[in-house]
Amino acid sequence: MFEKTLVPVAYGERPEELMKIGRVLRSLGAESICLYHVNEPGSFFRGADLSWLTLLAEALEEMGLSVEVKTGNGHIASAIAETALLEGADGIYMKAKRRWHIETMLLGSVSQNLLRLADVPVFVHKIRPRLPDNGVELDRRDLKVLYATDLGETSNRLLPYVMEFAGAWCHLLHVRGRMADPLAERVRREAVDGKLHAVAEELRPYFGQVTSEQRIGEPATQVLYVSDRIEADIVVLGRKGPAFLSAPMGDTAERVVTGSMASIFLVPQPGSRHAS
Amino acid sequence: MLREYLRKEGVFLLSAGIVLFFIGFGIARPDLLDAVSSAVHAAILDYFSWLYLISVFFFLVFALVLALSRYGTIKLGHDAERPQYGFFGWVAMLFAAGMGIGLLFWGVSEPLIHYLQPPPFIDPASPDAAAFAMRYAFFHWGVHPWAIYTIVSLSIAYFSFRRGMPALISSCFYPVLGERIYGPAGKMVDVFAVVATVFGTATSLGFGALQIHSGLTHLYGLPSTISVTIGIIVIATALFMASAILGVEKGVQVLSKLNIVLATVLLLVVLGLGSTPYVFNVFISTFGGYVNNIIDMSLQSYPFAGFDWSRDWTVFYWAWWISWSPFVGLFVARISRGRTIREFVLTVLTVPTLFTFVWFAVFGGSALHLELDRGADLAAVAGADVSLALFAFLEHYPSAGLLTLIAIIVLIVFFITSADSATVVLGSLTSGGSLIVPTYKKAIWGLSLSAVAITLLVTGGLSSLQVMAITAAFPFMLVMIVLCYTLAIGLSQEKVQ
Repeated sequence: MFEKTLVPVAYGERPEELMKIGRVLRSLGAESICLYHVNEPGSFFRGADLSWLTLLAEALEEMGLSVEVKTGNGHIASAIAETALLEGADGIYMKAKRRWHIETMLLGSVSQNLLRLADVPVFVHKIRPRLPDNGVELDRRDLKVLYATDLGETSNRLLPYVMEFAGAWCHLLHVRGRMADPLAERVRREAVDGKLHAVAEELRPYFGQVTSEQRIGEPATQVLYVSDRIEADIVVLGRKGPAFLSAPMGDTAERVVTGSMASIFLVPQPGSRHAS
Repeated sequence: MLREYLRKEGVFLLSAGIVLFFIGFGIARPDLLDAVSSAVHAAILDYFSWLYLISVFFFLVFALVLALSRYGTIKLGHDAERPQYGFFGWVAMLFAAGMGIGLLFWGVSEPLIHYLQPPPFIDPASPDAAAFAMRYAFFHWGVHPWAIYTIVSLSIAYFSFRRGMPALISSCFYPVLGERIYGPAGKMVDVFAVVATVFGTATSLGFGALQIHSGLTHLYGLPSTISVTIGIIVIATALFMASAILGVEKGVQVLSKLNIVLATVLLLVVLGLGSTPYVFNVFISTFGGYVNNIIDMSLQSYPFAGFDWSRDWTVFYWAWWISWSPFVGLFVARISRGRTIREFVLTVLTVPTLFTFVWFAVFGGSALHLELDRGADLAAVAGADVSLALFAFLEHYPSAGLLTLIAIIVLIVFFITSADSATVVLGSLTSGGSLIVPTYKKAIWGLSLSAVAITLLVTGGLSSLQVMAITAAFPFMLVMIVLCYTLAIGLSQEKVQ
């Protein structure tokens, strides 16, 4: 799924940082990278020399990755989402907390906007897993992947994406509301345990270790809690269309991205705003 | 062994301890209890009037939305269950528990007092003041109090009869607290319900006894000594305990039906002997004004002129109804098994309300007619002693003695049904929500209620305890908001066609 990954880059990006990213992506199966730079209307750097992009591409090519360079114009997140689709990228990789301009800081980060707009999976790299400094690639056996599933009809669509991290420790998490009475709660708990067990059995041959749990509460809060508790490196989430009341607070994915130390791998699901 | 006993009887022991503490406080330092409760009460009303208004309006809207939504067809019980009580018996009981004695107390007095002392933007003792007085009497006794009761009773009935949990307020918190309802958090909610029920019922018994005493003094010239009032309480206690021990079917139901019949007879006699067309005009005019202004009145605190009036009447009433809601809610829930949510909400909101409107139109409208057109000085009587207004009013009718006697009987029976229902509820609350309550527990609570009322009458702490009960209702308003939330969660998990 990471074979062809679109990596948005900004003016001033350092080749050595990008090489670290390249190593991470290669360890996740990337073969081809599309470096993409957006010229924002009115930007101070618009029309500047783009030779720095060539330098970045060369740095990645030295690592054995196939690289192409693209540039575009307009609103950053929209342009990235559109290009990823047009270029047939399997996913978008973003380093979190990158702010290009003051207006994006005010309106929300590019990664948050991208989460809403992208039609392909988005990997938002946060503090964990740490980018290796010594030139080595990530060892999947060291990764802890938290797969937050709603166990709904469309959740099976996410399994191939979870498999991208085969070899790691996969922790399945289902967050739900409490049922209205103890009997219904017990029945529901047993049903969810059964479903989680079935998913775990499906994943077990591919992962070093598979564990599961269900929790009651607000999804974003519980995902963040469990992610911190197990010190997850990557949280895999499906994205659904935002609910009416989620608009002021942000939906679950946005809140997890904002609060998580772990990286987020967000997969659009049918029913989300742009997913086809 | 001891731990098991404390766990089982925790609600009973803790609530009894709290009640005893306040009674002791009221006996030892009535002045201090009065000062503390009045200060807290005034602060809550000053700062949170707006919250009372918006919350009660929300409860009304929430109840109506539930009734008219697809969840309206859900039964408060299993799908095949039929209502436990007939329609008339059911309505009679919920009316007797929810309003009852207050109608006799305020039916004549409230319109007269509003007429004499309206908010500052209305001229006192004017036709505008009369229209305002009737409209607000309808408002304070209309659908809003029943909406408050509806939220509590619907939640309890749903979680106990539909979801198979004990008939306790703490059961309604399962969707948010889970198993913690069996721990201190859940117990605290039930303790609060017991304490609120004891305070609310004991104060009402005290005031009710005073009004019965006033009536008997008015009719038979009984001496106005405290021993007579205590004697009335003792006799009434014997009657309501007998009724409680007989059970809801043979006790409360029979008395409630009897009382509705007696009250209707009194109503029809006053209507027939008075100015009938005038009363009908008052009824339809006030009803029109009520419907036309219901949203405005629901949210109106008169911040620019008349805030004190709104706080002292509307907000006070809302707080009082909320303080009664644990008791009335539990009792109404208990008698409503087998009804659908739609049938329950629409009946509870409309049938007792319509009867109350007719009552106020007949008694309040006739009193205003006597005051405005016949030169009777009833408003001054009501202003001086609220409990006397009804008897002073009846004096203007033929066979006043007989009518006063019927009014006193109605008053006594309402007194008995309220205390009887409270005893049943208290017994159930302190028996883990069981609908079958041991006789000894009914006896203990019945005697306790009367003992509290007598003690407070002797020490003069009745008003303080009423204020305390209303103050304690403030957190329960927040509990009710959570009840709406948990009810919505429970209903959203139902499979409704």
